[in-house]
Amino acid sequence: MARQQGWLALLLALVISSFLLCIRLPFQLGLDLRGGSQLTLEVQSVNPSAKVSSQDLEAVQSVLDRRVNGLGVAESSLRTIGTNQLILELPGEQEPSKAARVLGKTALLEFRSQKPGTRMEMQKYQRLRNQYRNIALLAENSGNKKTDIEEIEGQQKTIENLKLALNLNQTSSNKEEDLEAIKQKINSEIVKLFEPSYLTGSDLLSAGRRQEQNLSSWEVTLTFNKDGGDKFAKLTKSIAGKDRLLGIILDGESISEASVGEQFKLAGITGGSATISGNFTADSARELEVQLRGGSLPLPVEIIQIRTIGPTLGEENIQRSLTAALLGLAMVAIFMVIFYRIAGIVAILALSFYALFNFAVYTLIPVTLTLPGIAGFILSIGMAVDANVLIFERVKDELRRGNTLIRSIDTGFSQAFSSIIDGHITTLISCISLFYLGTGFVKGFAATLGLGVVISLFTALSCTRVLLRFFMSYKYLRRPSNFLPLKQLPKQIS
Amino acid sequence: MTFSPKTFTGKTYISLSRNRSKVWLISAFAVLVSFLGFVTSFLTPTIGLPLRPGLDFTGGTQIKLERKCIDKCTQISALDVSDKLINIDFSNKETNQKMASARVQFLDGYKSILIRVPSIAASESKAIVESIVNDIGPFEDGGLSIETIGPTLGSKLLKTTLVSLLVAFSCVAIYISIRFDRKFSFFALLALFHDIFIIAGIFSWLGVFLDVEVNSLFAVALLTIAGYSVNDTVVVYDRIREIDNQDISLPYKQKIDIAVSATLTRTLYTSGTTLLPLLALIFFGGYSLYWFSIALAMGVVIGSWSSIALVPSLLTLTNDN
Repeated sequence: MARQQGWLALLLALVISSFLLCIRLPFQLGLDLRGGSQLTLEVQSVNPSAKVSSQDLEAVQSVLDRRVNGLGVAESSLRTIGTNQLILELPGEQEPSKAARVLGKTALLEFRSQKPGTRMEMQKYQRLRNQYRNIALLAENSGNKKTDIEEIEGQQKTIENLKLALNLNQTSSNKEEDLEAIKQKINSEIVKLFEPSYLTGSDLLSAGRRQEQNLSSWEVTLTFNKDGGDKFAKLTKSIAGKDRLLGIILDGESISEASVGEQFKLAGITGGSATISGNFTADSARELEVQLRGGSLPLPVEIIQIRTIGPTLGEENIQRSLTAALLGLAMVAIFMVIFYRIAGIVAILALSFYALFNFAVYTLIPVTLTLPGIAGFILSIGMAVDANVLIFERVKDELRRGNTLIRSIDTGFSQAFSSIIDGHITTLISCISLFYLGTGFVKGFAATLGLGVVISLFTALSCTRVLLRFFMSYKYLRRPSNFLPLKQLPKQIS
Repeated sequence: MTFSPKTFTGKTYISLSRNRSKVWLISAFAVLVSFLGFVTSFLTPTIGLPLRPGLDFTGGTQIKLERKCIDKCTQISALDVSDKLINIDFSNKETNQKMASARVQFLDGYKSILIRVPSIAASESKAIVESIVNDIGPFEDGGLSIETIGPTLGSKLLKTTLVSLLVAFSCVAIYISIRFDRKFSFFALLALFHDIFIIAGIFSWLGVFLDVEVNSLFAVALLTIAGYSVNDTVVVYDRIREIDNQDISLPYKQKIDIAVSATLTRTLYTSGTTLLPLLALIFFGGYSLYWFSIALAMGVVIGSWSSIALVPSLLTLTNDN
């Protein structure tokens, strides 16, 4: 008796803690239920002969993880696929282009000092870059509107001049291609004018952004750690008051060049912080901030696929299907009570616990619920009901043969045991192989079905048993007629 | 244990072994009809495949609209919009049919609307926009975007799925042959393929006559049916082994009959309890789960048939003396 009470207490504790878990922790709904975007990213190895190692992949994942969190999309998930791919799911996000922009950049930030004696060249390329920026802006605007031929010809001429100045002799009929080539050429020329990198983003402590005073543009603020602060001071000291600029270079592109005033000649810029200003909009400042905070990617990443997914079921549909499913479960409950009477009530209780345990495990692991996952859960409910049916049918058989109630219950459990074990283990075996080998929807299905099978083994063999024993400890419940109609019982008992 | 042959000698039980040729005839007929379904579907010019593939396999067209709302956008029912789409007359039978698998979704609190349909021509997309502008418009200028989306179920996913299924089935087969017998595991797998083949066959006929498309949900339904089928069969096996082990001096055939009769109630009850929620989903659930529930319900019925009739009757073959 004491042992039985111990079991009952344990069961009760499990039920209460599962219930608390369910209301405390959120359920995660998959992309097919909520809709959203899915991005497939491929990690590129720098050296074509070397493969991407699992450490590399992990390092890339942790950086991307921080960036994704910076984007502020709720319940996003990032997981690795194979040896060099990552899949990012952004539930609810229907316009993934922004995320793609933030994720794809390496975000390697470098501070470099200008090589001595390159002042003239630097001015020349800065001037060319300004020309390029103007023409690029014009070209972009004229793409949206109708422009007169004169204006287009003017643009064409400027582009030709720029190409001439940069010694670009490639011929292309496409204006966009020309502009892109010019941009790259200017960038590489400017970057060449700087010394090798001295201070990088790895010494960053944090990044922020703010609107520039009296201006509509934004700037990104940086805070270095102690080491970075010292390096920054040293770097600025070396070029203060000279004709050398400080280049802020992101992913090999100089985004800003700044002169350091003469007043910093003695100690450099101390205090360990700096700002980057360079025509940022609110959005682009935020993107850079997110990238810098996440750190730079150890390896370049290419986005190979972007897919937006609409929910398979609309909200209305989910509501309606849920009501229908509950109605169906209510019918199952009625069925169980009609055919198994008191045992049916025990089964309903045990199955409710079963569902509760499942939900608790879903929130705990956490399992992202997808439609295939729900199908797996439904199948596992079927198996859990089946386990109860197997047991009760055996109990009824024993009663019909004239056994006493308690003995029938015990034999019923022990006889149904092997069927339940075999049925559950075969399902579990296929779930395990489907989970490890399958991808996509197969995995979701195998996960919930596999968990359901394990939990069902527990509830069928312990919950149902403990509850039934508990019910049987009351004398007025302990009657064979509470299990099956009197006329089916052998004469000597009734 | 009070198990003895007497318990059964007085009781009537189903003589499956005597009716086994009928069982085989019924199953063979169903398999044949399914096979013809694949062939018919394959030969239908608009399909050209054994099953009619849905949006998940083919990809399609996505139309996005931004509504012009003064303060807050009014609520609209996605189902109403779907009904509107079905009622558009495209003067092209195929396009009309495509509207049945359209998916409608609202974003940003009813501000934008997303419509996904199988690939259609640009003029047909315009017709869709025009047909709903009166009900849920006006739309923002420049808020319209029409693009082609890729399939959710790529060939790579299907390939890994097939491989993982094969491994899963082999593992199950090994387990059954260890716990029971090699014959048992062979027949369990045979029953599984029998069930899946017939369900797929029924859906190929549905694709030909009612334009029912198979999507990722159908693949999930097949997985579920496979799981159900094996579980059902194993329970019957367990009873057969139990009775066989009791060393009753009865012919093997009769032992199987006894085992099937003993598990009959359980199989029917379990199928019944599984069918109840499915029937509720079919009659009261949302439209997008309609065919999924039908596939599962048929799978439950066919799975029960194969485990209480087909598999035991095949087992009687192995030990005829």
